Amino acid sequence: MLVPDEMPARLASFLAIQEPTASDIEVASYGVLTGGYSRLLGKASISWTIDGQRLHRTFVLRGDPPLDKQLIVTDRRQEFGVLRAVAPHVATSAAVYLDATGEHLGTPALVIDFVDADSLLPFMAGRPDNTDLVAPLAETLAAFQRTSLTSLPDTMARPASWNEYISQRIDEWRRAALNHAESEPIMRYLAAWLNAHRPAPVELTLIHGDFQSANLMRSTSGELVVLDWELAQIGDPREDIGYFKAVSQAAGPDVIALDEDEFCRRYRKLTGMTEAQLNPAVIAYFLILGVVGTVRQLLEGGAAYAAGKNTAINSLFSLSSVQFGHSMWLPATEQLEAVFAMAEGAN
Amino acid sequence: MLNRPTTEQVLRGLINELTTVIAPELHSEPAKVSLGMITQILNGCATRSAHEIEWIHDECNAIESAVSGLDDPATQCALADYRNADLALSLDASVHRYHLASEALSAAIEFAFSTTNKGLVVDLRELLKARSAHEMQILGVFEMVGRG
Repeated sequence: MLVPDEMPARLASFLAIQEPTASDIEVASYGVLTGGYSRLLGKASISWTIDGQRLHRTFVLRGDPPLDKQLIVTDRRQEFGVLRAVAPHVATSAAVYLDATGEHLGTPALVIDFVDADSLLPFMAGRPDNTDLVAPLAETLAAFQRTSLTSLPDTMARPASWNEYISQRIDEWRRAALNHAESEPIMRYLAAWLNAHRPAPVELTLIHGDFQSANLMRSTSGELVVLDWELAQIGDPREDIGYFKAVSQAAGPDVIALDEDEFCRRYRKLTGMTEAQLNPAVIAYFLILGVVGTVRQLLEGGAAYAAGKNTAINSLFSLSSVQFGHSMWLPATEQLEAVFAMAEGAN
Repeated sequence: MLNRPTTEQVLRGLINELTTVIAPELHSEPAKVSLGMITQILNGCATRSAHEIEWIHDECNAIESAVSGLDDPATQCALADYRNADLALSLDASVHRYHLASEALSAAIEFAFSTTNKGLVVDLRELLKARSAHEMQILGVFEMVGRG
């Protein structure tokens, strides 16, 4: 993937190993895809014969950029395992092959099925009203969050309890700030604020970690297809909701905001959460907390650039997202304080 | 040293050249995304070149004024480091002073929360909002280039 011209030959050799009974393997096309910030993407059309039958498939490849061009460091083997685990629960690209070491494809990469569906952002942009997506969004989240934790890769951390997990998550803001190339008082403030306003606990589940419209597609049957599982982990399921809302502020529309009460009702019904566990104020709390994993990784990229260890333009560009986040998180804490004060007054 | 056109003018001129001359000639999607990112980054650099040192100076003074009276050893220690810093006008020296002032602000924020001093939290948050407002001026119109 690092050298696109080499990919047809590499793919043909790789497929011959993965499908030992295949013959007449032909890579009809290979092209670089855009859309992924963190990984190299490619699309390949491949034909081969097995048992006298000619097969034609189109794949997407997700591979690691060179180390000095990596915005974030994640594990293709783990992503492959997550894809296999979630496939029974939610529409996604099927994980087909894995080159965990990069021995065959030139860099660690997974080969997944190409999904013939519309990217959600342009789909929504072309419609006057997207309120009909509110319920499918709640259903999609609840569906993959039902994935059994035992089916997930062993490499994923298993927190002992919600309290321990949420404490670590909150502290991640502080640690990310301390590890950055310069002092980050906004993140230190957020860590202290989040700790002072903890929500009601819930059961930990699989979370996507980068659940945003840009990672969603809409199939012809109306299903939402979830892509890009590299940041998946076990966490608080409300993080995905908050994260979705956070990213929607920068790249809207915010589907949840189209009918937030209906979203909450639907999601609570599917997950069994109580109103205290999920309501618009709790979502706003997770609008802040839910992005910490991504923010930490973006800051690490920026710090590596500042230290001369990284030359990826993405690392520079992504610092803009952090600054945009600052402008959302600060007013969100103020607004939530007002909501909490009103609730205290009512009690 | 020739100061005119200013660094800001030069950078905005380059952005104009990139968007009006180079961009229409680009046909590769990855190259278009890359150019979109470069344009946004250069826009931020142009604004920073015009205001960065001024804003650093203003924010440092505001932080010093807000935290100097706090009865918190961590804040006072960080403030002392800031006050002992090199006062040179270079960008490197200014950025270092800003870092030290920001450390004092961070310590004061943690002190405010640990003592549940809501008034102090509100006052210190105003400093963070001023910082964020500068960041948004640098950012201009934020677009998630290449997504979706």
